[in-house]
Amino acid sequence: MRRASALVLLLVLAAGLAVVLAKIPFGQDKIGVGNHYIEKGVTETGATNIVTSVVVSYRGFDTLGEVTVLFAAALGVTTLLFVERPQERKKREPASLIVATGSRLLFPLIILFGIYIFLHGHLTPGGGFQGGAVIASGFLLLYLARPGQTMRRKNLSAAESLGGLVFVVVGLLGIVFSGYFLQNFLPKGHPNLLLSAGIIPLVYIAIGVKVGSELGRIIGDLVERD
Amino acid sequence: MVIAPLLIVIPLAAAFLIPLLEFVSSKAGKYVPPLALLANVVLSAVLIPQVLAAPIVVSIGGWKPPICINLTVGPLGILLAALISLVSFLTAVYAVGYIKQGPTGRYHMLFLLLVAGATGVVLTGDIFNLFVFFEILCISSYALTAYNRNKEGTEAAFKYLVQGTIGSTLILIAIAFVYGLFGTLNMADIASRISSAEPTHLFFILALFIAGFGVEAAIFPLNAWLPDAHSSAPSSISAILSGIAIKAGVYAIARTTYTLFDTSGLTIIVSVVGLATLMIGEISAYRQRDDIKRMLAYSSIGHIGLIVFALGIGTYAGVFGSLFQLVNHAIAKAVLFLVVGYMILRVGSKKLSAFEGLGRQMPLSSLAFAIAIFSLVGLPPFAGFMSKLSIVYAAVETKQLLLLVFVAIVLLATVIEAGYFFRLIQTLYFRQGVSERRIGEAPLSALIPVVVLTLSILVIGLCPQLITPLLRGGAEELLNRADYIRHVLGPL
Amino acid sequence: MDALYNSMYYVGAGALILIGLYMVLVKANLIKIMLGISFMDTGLHVLLIAIGYVRGRTAPILSQALLEAGEGPPAVVDPVPQALVLTAIVIGVGVLALGLSIAVKVYEHYGTLDAGRIKGLKW
Repeated sequence: MRRASALVLLLVLAAGLAVVLAKIPFGQDKIGVGNHYIEKGVTETGATNIVTSVVVSYRGFDTLGEVTVLFAAALGVTTLLFVERPQERKKREPASLIVATGSRLLFPLIILFGIYIFLHGHLTPGGGFQGGAVIASGFLLLYLARPGQTMRRKNLSAAESLGGLVFVVVGLLGIVFSGYFLQNFLPKGHPNLLLSAGIIPLVYIAIGVKVGSELGRIIGDLVERD
Repeated sequence: MVIAPLLIVIPLAAAFLIPLLEFVSSKAGKYVPPLALLANVVLSAVLIPQVLAAPIVVSIGGWKPPICINLTVGPLGILLAALISLVSFLTAVYAVGYIKQGPTGRYHMLFLLLVAGATGVVLTGDIFNLFVFFEILCISSYALTAYNRNKEGTEAAFKYLVQGTIGSTLILIAIAFVYGLFGTLNMADIASRISSAEPTHLFFILALFIAGFGVEAAIFPLNAWLPDAHSSAPSSISAILSGIAIKAGVYAIARTTYTLFDTSGLTIIVSVVGLATLMIGEISAYRQRDDIKRMLAYSSIGHIGLIVFALGIGTYAGVFGSLFQLVNHAIAKAVLFLVVGYMILRVGSKKLSAFEGLGRQMPLSSLAFAIAIFSLVGLPPFAGFMSKLSIVYAAVETKQLLLLVFVAIVLLATVIEAGYFFRLIQTLYFRQGVSERRIGEAPLSALIPVVVLTLSILVIGLCPQLITPLLRGGAEELLNRADYIRHVLGPL
Repeated sequence: MDALYNSMYYVGAGALILIGLYMVLVKANLIKIMLGISFMDTGLHVLLIAIGYVRGRTAPILSQALLEAGEGPPAVVDPVPQALVLTAIVIGVGVLALGLSIAVKVYEHYGTLDAGRIKGLKW
């Protein structure tokens, strides 16, 4: 009964999807607002990665919301898996020699790569979220290499909150200096240089630090449950 | 120009600030939400006269719409933002004394994020931004429903999460289609281009939007998660969920139906859905005897049905009545849940029979409880009477036979509602309590918010002209698409 | 052949969404339900990106070569769906993490992951 009604619902949904998608031709030029971003993006924001200028500058409020969504989810995970007194830690098998040695070599490289990605967010593909995810994978590698290790939650929590506050403060400074929330108030510089694009590198550094510590904390909560 | 984004940014910044404050003192966290939300209440009160004169359009980032995201603060937006700020401020004061166990700092952070999300939903003028803030609201409510980490809480939270995520997926599909067809995400821009698409496509996209937002708004048949979630969450969260979160879903449905899509004939379907929700809610509430919070949750479903039914009438009077009922229900349901919180704590059980005789032992709480019930059922001179009257009047005024039949069903549902609510009052006041324990009144931190909210019920009931300008402005804003487009995009 | 090439991204994305929805509605194991949510999210992201694609154009990164390319606007695809997908991916990850931790807690309380047997809250 349940399967049958689910299949009927899916058929209706599929029919509707097909009908509407027939009107959205694949591969043809139907760009609306996007044309403004493509043509004027570099001159108005200074970033050569147009997706970055859309994400941070034109639709910066969405990014603030997205950062908040991740914050709320990380808070939820911590609230659910919170233990007042961590119990006896079970004896775990130590990691193999390759993983243990390799992690010591790779961990700083991974962190460096993550920092590179979010630092160059306005020039090359990438940005705060991508760089933060790479940094968090470095933490995961440490957990795999040293089972049973705990991490210092409070420092990660502080880094996370600091990142978020920097983002909000940059937005508020936009009000102070230029009159609108999240408006650019730093010089745009020459395109394709590292020091360019106004507040975009600042925002992405804040987001990178925040997302990295946040995803690291989620991984830590899920791993240290026992 | 500056104040409108602050309404959203202040709770966000406060939530980011709490972990840093906890380095200094671990008890500081619980005082931050009342302070931040008090600032919100003051700011929204300051904005109300400005907005009644002319809607405020603030662009984020300094660009011109539709290039950027803009906040469109019209009468409807500021009405809901002020309602959200007031109810959440009072609930935050209540929570200072009520939330004692578990990671309390996290509770207050999630609470602030929920309020920021709800305020963002009602103030924004961009459809994808609405989705993002809607997600903030939803994720915070999933996490807060599971805050007690007991059996019922986690099970309810899981069901809520799964159903809510299906809804969010449907919304995102609809947004993808809107972008593919019209090339823009700004609500006023979409509204001005809507005539360039065929009605069949628009019908499907609107159905996706209503189904997606309807999960959070708890319309039939998407409301299976609500009784579990609202009865298993801590009582202050039940108050916020019933009072604010589902209203944000109803607002989103109203915004997409009226402003984005030009629907004049389809609204009868919305009315039918609302009516079905109303009947299901009231009949199920009548059958509850074992769990008072579950009964209140089903009553919320019933009232959402009434609000959606009035929204579907499609006339100015209908939307006016719907908004009025929304405000009244939010305040009254918040009172009920806040009072019930301490009653359950003192008595130790959720069964209706355990509440016998509490009218004598918790006099102030029970009085507030009774006043809120009278308002919800619709007795004069309380606020609920005026709102139910305007809804009935709006339906009768159209002189359509179908709507007259619907009004009869609405009155029948009110009779059922009176049935179970008066049974509750009878239990509180006219039965002798069996236990000899002295049950004390709720503490001051709980009584003050309850008293303030109850006084507002009385004030609105006796002088409705305090909020009717905002309600009228809100109804006009919803029905008058051309003005909305003109305010945001400038004269064409 | 041309029709196939034109529609395969949409069909693929739609199929992923429908498969994910089917799993969420029909499967009883909590982890499989979360997996279905993950499928739905992935299908949605592919759908959004496919809507923004324009044939013959390249990624919207204006490297030095593109900036000096010549007259007219640069030939790049639509940057807006890519920004939307960025946000949607992060939201999806957040929901997935929260859902899995709730599932862990439910397992601790009930001892089973079968949704048919988790019926503590009655009607």
